[in-house]
Amino acid sequence: MKFVTCPHIGKRALSEFTYGGELRVEPDIETVSDKQWTDYVFHRHSEPKTQQEWWYHRPTGMWFIFTRNTLTDLISQVKVASRGALHEA
Amino acid sequence: MPLRLLKYAWKKPEEEPRFFPDEKPLKKAYDVVIIGGGGHGMACAYYLAKEHGITNVAVLEQGYIGGGNTGRNTTIVRSNYLTAEGVKFYDQSVKLFEDLSDEFDLNIFYSTRGHFTLAHTDSAMRTMRWRAEVNKHYGIDSEVVDVETIKKDIPYMDVQCNGQHPVMGALYHAPGSVARHDAVAWGYARGAQMRGVEIHQKTQVTEIKTQDGKVKGVQTNRGFIEASKVISMVAGSTPRITKMVDMQTPIEVFPLQACVTEPVKPFMNTIVVSGSLHVYVSQSSRGELVMGASVDPAELHSTRSTLDFVEGLTDQMMDLFPFTSRLKIMRQWAGMSDITPDFAPIMGKTDLEGFYLDAGWGTWGFKATPVSGKTMAYTVANDRDHDLIKPFSLSRFEEFALVGEKGAASVGH
Amino acid sequence: MKLRLSPQPYEWLDRKQIIEFEFEGEVYEGFKGDVISAALWANGVKTLGRSFKYHRRRGLLSLANHDINALFQSKDYPNIRGDVTPIEDYMSVRAVNTFGSLKHDKGTLVEWIGKFLPVGFYYKAFYSPKFLFPKWESLIRTMAGLGTVDTDWTEERKPKRYLHCDVAVIGAGPSGMAAALKAAEQGVDVCLIDENPVIGGSLDYQFANEPDLGAERKRLKKGIASHPKIQVISSAYVAGYYGDHWLAVNTPQGLIKVSAQAVVVATGVFEQPAVFRNNDLPGVMNASAAQRLISRYAVKPCNTAVVLTANAEGYRAALDMKKAGIEVKAILDTGERHCRCVQEAEKNGLVIYHNAEMVEATGKQSLQGIVFRESGHERALECDGLLMSVGWAPAGAPIYQAGGKFSYDERLEQLLPSQLPDGVFACGRINGVFDIEHRIQDGEQAGLNAALYASDEPVPDSMDLRATQAHSHPYPIWEHEKGKNFVDFDEDLQLKDLKGAIAQGFDNIELMKRFSTIGMGPSQGKHSNMNGIRILAKARGQSIDETGSTTARPMFHPTPVSHLAGMRFRPERLTAMHTFHQRYQAKFMEAGPWLRPEYYRTGLPRKMCIESEVNSVRTSAGLIDVSTLGKLEVFGKDAAELMDRLYTMRMSNMKVGASRYALMVDDSGVVIDDGVAIRYSEEHFYVTTTTTSSDNAYRMIQKKVIEWGLSVTVLNRTGQLAAMNLAGPNSRKILAKLTDLDLSSEAFPYLAMRQATVAGYPVTLIRVGFVGELGYEIHVDSAYGLRVWEAIMKAGEAFTIKPFGVEAQRLLRLEKGHIIVGQDTDGLTNPYEADMGWAVHLKKPYFIGKPSLAKLKEMQSRTLVGFEFLSVQAEDVPLESNLVIEDGEMAGRITSIGYSPVLGKHIGLAMVDVALKEVGTSLQIRLSNGRMVKAKVVETPFYDPQGLLQIPQDPEELSQESVA
Repeated sequence: MKFVTCPHIGKRALSEFTYGGELRVEPDIETVSDKQWTDYVFHRHSEPKTQQEWWYHRPTGMWFIFTRNTLTDLISQVKVASRGALHEA
Repeated sequence: MPLRLLKYAWKKPEEEPRFFPDEKPLKKAYDVVIIGGGGHGMACAYYLAKEHGITNVAVLEQGYIGGGNTGRNTTIVRSNYLTAEGVKFYDQSVKLFEDLSDEFDLNIFYSTRGHFTLAHTDSAMRTMRWRAEVNKHYGIDSEVVDVETIKKDIPYMDVQCNGQHPVMGALYHAPGSVARHDAVAWGYARGAQMRGVEIHQKTQVTEIKTQDGKVKGVQTNRGFIEASKVISMVAGSTPRITKMVDMQTPIEVFPLQACVTEPVKPFMNTIVVSGSLHVYVSQSSRGELVMGASVDPAELHSTRSTLDFVEGLTDQMMDLFPFTSRLKIMRQWAGMSDITPDFAPIMGKTDLEGFYLDAGWGTWGFKATPVSGKTMAYTVANDRDHDLIKPFSLSRFEEFALVGEKGAASVGH
Repeated sequence: MKLRLSPQPYEWLDRKQIIEFEFEGEVYEGFKGDVISAALWANGVKTLGRSFKYHRRRGLLSLANHDINALFQSKDYPNIRGDVTPIEDYMSVRAVNTFGSLKHDKGTLVEWIGKFLPVGFYYKAFYSPKFLFPKWESLIRTMAGLGTVDTDWTEERKPKRYLHCDVAVIGAGPSGMAAALKAAEQGVDVCLIDENPVIGGSLDYQFANEPDLGAERKRLKKGIASHPKIQVISSAYVAGYYGDHWLAVNTPQGLIKVSAQAVVVATGVFEQPAVFRNNDLPGVMNASAAQRLISRYAVKPCNTAVVLTANAEGYRAALDMKKAGIEVKAILDTGERHCRCVQEAEKNGLVIYHNAEMVEATGKQSLQGIVFRESGHERALECDGLLMSVGWAPAGAPIYQAGGKFSYDERLEQLLPSQLPDGVFACGRINGVFDIEHRIQDGEQAGLNAALYASDEPVPDSMDLRATQAHSHPYPIWEHEKGKNFVDFDEDLQLKDLKGAIAQGFDNIELMKRFSTIGMGPSQGKHSNMNGIRILAKARGQSIDETGSTTARPMFHPTPVSHLAGMRFRPERLTAMHTFHQRYQAKFMEAGPWLRPEYYRTGLPRKMCIESEVNSVRTSAGLIDVSTLGKLEVFGKDAAELMDRLYTMRMSNMKVGASRYALMVDDSGVVIDDGVAIRYSEEHFYVTTTTTSSDNAYRMIQKKVIEWGLSVTVLNRTGQLAAMNLAGPNSRKILAKLTDLDLSSEAFPYLAMRQATVAGYPVTLIRVGFVGELGYEIHVDSAYGLRVWEAIMKAGEAFTIKPFGVEAQRLLRLEKGHIIVGQDTDGLTNPYEADMGWAVHLKKPYFIGKPSLAKLKEMQSRTLVGFEFLSVQAEDVPLESNLVIEDGEMAGRITSIGYSPVLGKHIGLAMVDVALKEVGTSLQIRLSNGRMVKAKVVETPFYDPQGLLQIPQDPEELSQESVA
């Protein structure tokens, strides 16, 4: 079992969280080309890497952004998801 | 006692023919390089040599033969898919599987058990019937059976599911089988090598060289190899390979776990799958119950095991088979599943000339081993996608022409 | 109990309690504290089981939970391990995997034909001719497997517990005890886990007769027992290490999930058997097994012993035997040794042969003698016990599972941890430390370091206390032309089997394992993997590190399903009106976590109950509980913007007090949810979702709010609000009795929303028509749900109102041609295919999936159509999912079908190729039995196409009409 240290609520079991996928930026649909759109909808760069991810904490009903390595499963940063946090990412 | 065994009585072990020749040095160039020495890679090499006369082939395996998902799956073979594309493809696979032991002169323990996919809700019943109807349309032996029939075939199953979510019926697929997964890879490997293919274990591809939109060769931990045709058949490692050629695919990698109990005397003769309970189970010829569930909840390139998996699986198992609470789990393990959005594979040519993909096998790669090898060999030999795999091309996503296997694949085993 | 010794200083027995138990039909006596194997051995029973393949007699090997050849069956459990399971009164067991009985096992026939069964023999035969394979397979399956399952066994579940500590110490031998005590002295919470019922480990069985250690033993054991910071979990093993120092600890009472800050691995080493001819004869055992027998159970392993040794431990074992009154015929030292033990052995008059080589063990049913070679001479000795002390392999499972690595130490001839993950510490023999004082010291430094690590303090480097001499033989394997030199006792693998595998090219450790099955039996290679690696390394001329080792995956020992599953916790959700449904004999169905009435039982057949509910709605009034719908409230400055972005229809131009259908697609344009949205005020919406997607939808919407940076709050009110739909021509009259609200069509038109009081409770009313009648959806605080429901039922009595369930609603909506997301749509259906292009407003600047829908609109190849079916033959009626066939090809499928009592025919929806969409087209439908029937594409809605009933101008008149 993995544990996550949340800046607000301390050590929590990862099983309390639901994975919400990699944090990705939707292209501007006014200007997007077909190719860019289908890349966004379907395609992924899913080689092992450190990535920003959405994780939903069910008990508090809050979204978090984890920085996690998909090879080692190491979670190096946990932030409450906010518009600001996304911009930093 | 089969006569075949007699000949072994007088032989010393050293006199037995090697399955695999001794390691050789890498050559500078091959006509075809296959990345990945699992079942698919071996099958492709075998059919390239056998059916297309292409023998200057190297299979490069970063670990050992069949050590990836080939040796980690739960060995189920079936063709009761939902889509026309899926059904036709896997039907070919089942037919090839049935003759593999003879073809290899090696017993792959292809054991036809019958495969029940249980439905616990009326929506699952609708999906089962949909699959049955599509299957029958293509001549596949599948039918929806009622609870009484299930009880007759699996009398020891609690169809009431401990009162939680009673079984309402099932999709019964008579050809559903299990096979010895390793033997399939070994048989193909031996057959390929007998025809001149080279298999290089512990050989890792680190780079794919291209020039003017064409493949030139691969860099490995043992040096550079020139090749104008490179096939990636690496399942869970696909994103690492496609990254080398800067290619995007819809694949995401999730661990898929499985476990076995201590061996017990045979009592279970069928394969039982429950999508709602996320359980599938069969009894191996060694007597172990081989069990799996759905993929892990988050992306991960790792074969680590989790307690959550085995806790959840055993909990659900007991709904169907209460007596299994007295058994013990002996071992658990994991593989890395390369999952696509429509639960169908990605096969064939790509935009990069000379680079072929066989990927997106998710949780059903083993059952496709023979047919994927055969169709990919055809595709590479002719530089033209085989008819059976045309619907599975990578370009289908851009074209919004997805395959739609997802509807039936709540648990895809 | 003829082999029972006088009381031993650290024995585990309660000699006051004599226990009778039955083995293979005979009754034996033992003491409380005996394990089955020890109790049988005390009674002179040496054949404890039969081997897996050849059905050879087998006795004790390890007495440490690796003795797979002493597995027993009771009437309640299979595969009971004799070497660790205590005897109990009235226990009755027999050996597993025998044909006939243990004494007369017909399975021994296999040994006679063993010559024909080389390694992997099953790969080489039985497949041709193909039709015979099932017969052979059935035979092979019968021969394989160990215990027997009784499918009538009832379910068992053991509760799980959780434990949090700073330092978890695995193994309570000398180094583990020292580690636990040292860590606790630093003030951290320690949990000490050991397999055995009594802590002490090898200190008690290997050093039982060392007078110098008495004080140290007392210090450690007393210290642990009295230390408030140490919790001892005995009779427990770590089934798996699962990341972040999370241990699954299995105990007889169930699983304990231990979460630690640091882990000390003091698991020690497994003694490895020597490989020589007949090394499996009962009486040949690991020296540590013999020592365990004596010190724990006070049982003599034999009367006359020979000790085969490659280390000092063997000499100590020989001295222990002598002390227990066993005649020690000789010590066969595989080399030459110069240590205190040798001198002591000589002092005690023991005969020592140096540079000895094993030839074979001899005997029929059990060991009667051995043959060995020394100085070029073959010598024979009579004995009934041969103790093997030739080396050790690390019990490294927790380290492997934590991601650590081992490498081979040539000096010690042992795999040692070479890389330990953060927070994992190893000490004692697993760390290559063999001197007993050093083991304690090593434990202390590991305990200290773990405590520091757990307290976030810097961890100093440890002193290297590793042994300087080998305690393992580099190759304790002796060939014999007649074979029967077993490497893996679980799988009955001989030296020649491994050589055969290697010769055939399975010369990689993993391939050898998979082909030969070495290490794949229930002991998972604890006594066989190391020798397997040595054999492969030698055959290939490689070092052990080059050869590599296999991973030790969970479980450490096979772990009961009942413990892993634990107690059931499966929450289910009940609506506020549940008690009413129960009283009205509802037949419940699952809908996600909810229970919903499928229909209400009246004593009539199911179909008639449902039809009567349908009729009631169509002719008078019905009431359905729709509380399970997801219910989200959206408010804030950007509420309208959010609604516009989430749903395909424009929501921002909705008037306050209005409602609108809400359809949601994903990025790829696939329909994923629908519901009804209402607008309470400019900045306040309320929207429903389908029952099963409420959690997902809420979660996704929250995420989008963050992503888009909107100023809006979303509340999930699913559980807080109850909802019901009152429908039917008389619904207005019924509702009028309970509210002051003006219900006239002018004041409260179709699709409008009003807030009012019903039966005295504040509610939201929406005039919607999923079922196609005049109707009101009523949303009310859950606390009042039942009261409002019952008030309506009472007010409706005069109109013979009936509650209706999901099945009736399905038919009612089908008559109106409304889709159910997930039934009439599949995993790829877009709104155009669902014939709901009207619900997509591509002119909006943005909504989820818009670019995909713009593309999909142009490439539509299938569509949902309504059809009617006129046959009167019940067996001709198609089922949902039956296929539509055109020119022999699949051209669609039925997604919904039902008999409409109002229309007097079967109607349905089908997803078909666009070529078949025109009204009047004949659909060829293939029934499940293969027969073809016809249906005709018709306009939808099937019932009341103009929707007049939902918007009655003069309700009185229209409702009478529909009754007529």
